[in-house]
Amino acid sequence: MKTAGLVLLLLSAVVLGTGLGSVNVPPGEVLGALWRGVTGQELAGNDVIVWQIRLPRVVMGVLVGASLSVCGGAFQGVFRNPLADPYLLGVASGSALGATIAIVSGWPRTLIPVTALLLALAAVTCTLALAREGRRFPPNRLILAGVVVGSVLSAATTALILRGEDRARQVLAYTLGDLGFSGWPDVLTVLPYAALGGGALLLLARALDTLQLGELTARSLGVPVERLRLITVVAASVATAGAVAYVGVIGFVGLIVPHVVRLMFGPGHRTLLPLSALLGGALLVYADLLARTTPLSQVGIVTTLLGGPFFLWLLRRQSSE
Amino acid sequence: MNRTFLTAALTGFLTLGGASAATSYPLTLKDDLGRTVTVKAEPRRIVSMLPSTSETLCAIAACEKLVGVDAYSDYPQAVMKLPKMGGLYDPNIEAIIAQKPDLVLVSQYGKLEGPLTQAGITVVAVNPETYDEVFSKTLTLGRIVNREAQARALVTRMKSDIARVEILTRNVVRKPTAYLEIDPTPYSVGPNSFMGVLLTKAGARNIIPASMGDFPKVDPEFIVKANPQLILGVDAKTAGARPGWNSISALKTGRVVNIPAELNTMLGRPGPRLPQALRGLAKIVHPELFK
Repeated sequence: MKTAGLVLLLLSAVVLGTGLGSVNVPPGEVLGALWRGVTGQELAGNDVIVWQIRLPRVVMGVLVGASLSVCGGAFQGVFRNPLADPYLLGVASGSALGATIAIVSGWPRTLIPVTALLLALAAVTCTLALAREGRRFPPNRLILAGVVVGSVLSAATTALILRGEDRARQVLAYTLGDLGFSGWPDVLTVLPYAALGGGALLLLARALDTLQLGELTARSLGVPVERLRLITVVAASVATAGAVAYVGVIGFVGLIVPHVVRLMFGPGHRTLLPLSALLGGALLVYADLLARTTPLSQVGIVTTLLGGPFFLWLLRRQSSE
Repeated sequence: MNRTFLTAALTGFLTLGGASAATSYPLTLKDDLGRTVTVKAEPRRIVSMLPSTSETLCAIAACEKLVGVDAYSDYPQAVMKLPKMGGLYDPNIEAIIAQKPDLVLVSQYGKLEGPLTQAGITVVAVNPETYDEVFSKTLTLGRIVNREAQARALVTRMKSDIARVEILTRNVVRKPTAYLEIDPTPYSVGPNSFMGVLLTKAGARNIIPASMGDFPKVDPEFIVKANPQLILGVDAKTAGARPGWNSISALKTGRVVNIPAELNTMLGRPGPRLPQALRGLAKIVHPELFK
């Protein structure tokens, strides 16, 4: 039932996101354009807008929103910390730096997610090395180390932006999060990252549930806690690198979506993670629709402006009940 | 009777001429930050923190007054040898003060006026943004640095150079619809911005409506829908790789022109090289007129 509701929400997001924009295309024409695109017929007029521009943009929104939300949910579970999201551990900051290096250097577009992933992994390795205490990674140390690594990497990104003046606005738009020129090739490049990383995290859901009973209990129930953390971090790095590669840094989705799902449907990871993917995908498509039809102009600005107050409202509502 | 009239006219003429040739100091004016500033005496050591201002000063024979410029000032040649004072967002305030300037010309953006005013230096913000402001601010600069006659002559020369290009483009029958990209995220220019005015004067029809503003961020699908016959500011390879752009008529006919770096600099600078920028742009839009 609840799944059906979220699936409907996602579907409505895709339909509206494909039909509305600076040019409004009636639903019949949208379907016609999709049909002509699928069957490989000649595209003309609004067909091009629907099939070549809007649909890949919407699909990219779904992929990125779902990836960030699943990563957020998994991080919050594995570190049992409500503030965790892909920005913790410096994963997103590492990806952003990698992508920025590629953009500023003018490297080919397909290299962007690769450099993003490499630097995400380097960042996470750094964080883990800093946080390590013997064979353990205590959550508090991990989060502190993540914040430090993230800040250093963000500073490096900013320095690059200021130096590469010619591409400064391009990189600035990127750091504010933008689905602007997402085309089918980009979607196809990001897809394996999202599928691989996100899929792995979904498989870890049961272990994450067990971990909620406490580290000691989880260990005694046979969950290899350290290894679980490592796999989660690597899988989340893969998904985040893909999500961040072309569309940039989109704030708040990974933090908020899992919380909303938890408040509405309960905390079990076997429902939390898939439902977060559905809600995250829908949310980002709606946010992007708002971004391209209002002067807010960039999806990352919308998610941050809407996400913050909405989150506070949810918290207040919950505490007053 | 006749003679008295003649003398009076002559005296009047001389007085007027004298008044317009030399600025009388102290000069009080309202600058582009909305502040009322007084320039006490003719400035002799000037730091210019905007490339367009540096160009204008040199074009009105005040180049030798410059003792420092911002990092992006690179025209004319004389400016290249001057000490660099950093950029708009990372100005080197200490270096500016060390030059002991009696006037610093700044942009209305950036935050230079506070610390420099506190250091006892006269700061005036002059930055033209619209087409008409390019001329009015040139005259303002002329008044500030006591080069009023030269500024007036420059404006006259610029306007006649522009008119010469306009005569060619005005009566062209086929004016292509054009999209001018100033930044790949993508940003373009509205018809009322100074670059937009140049595009129109070059004989193109801008696809961006005035309602979108002067330098709007454009939704890519808007560009595809508008289907421009000419695309400027992007190279053909980048344009072709963008989703859906292969259906745009400019790409089908190969009219995608990446503006050369030097012309691009001139286009982006609301200064004395505006006529040259217009000429360069007109050559791209209507090459047939310049054969």
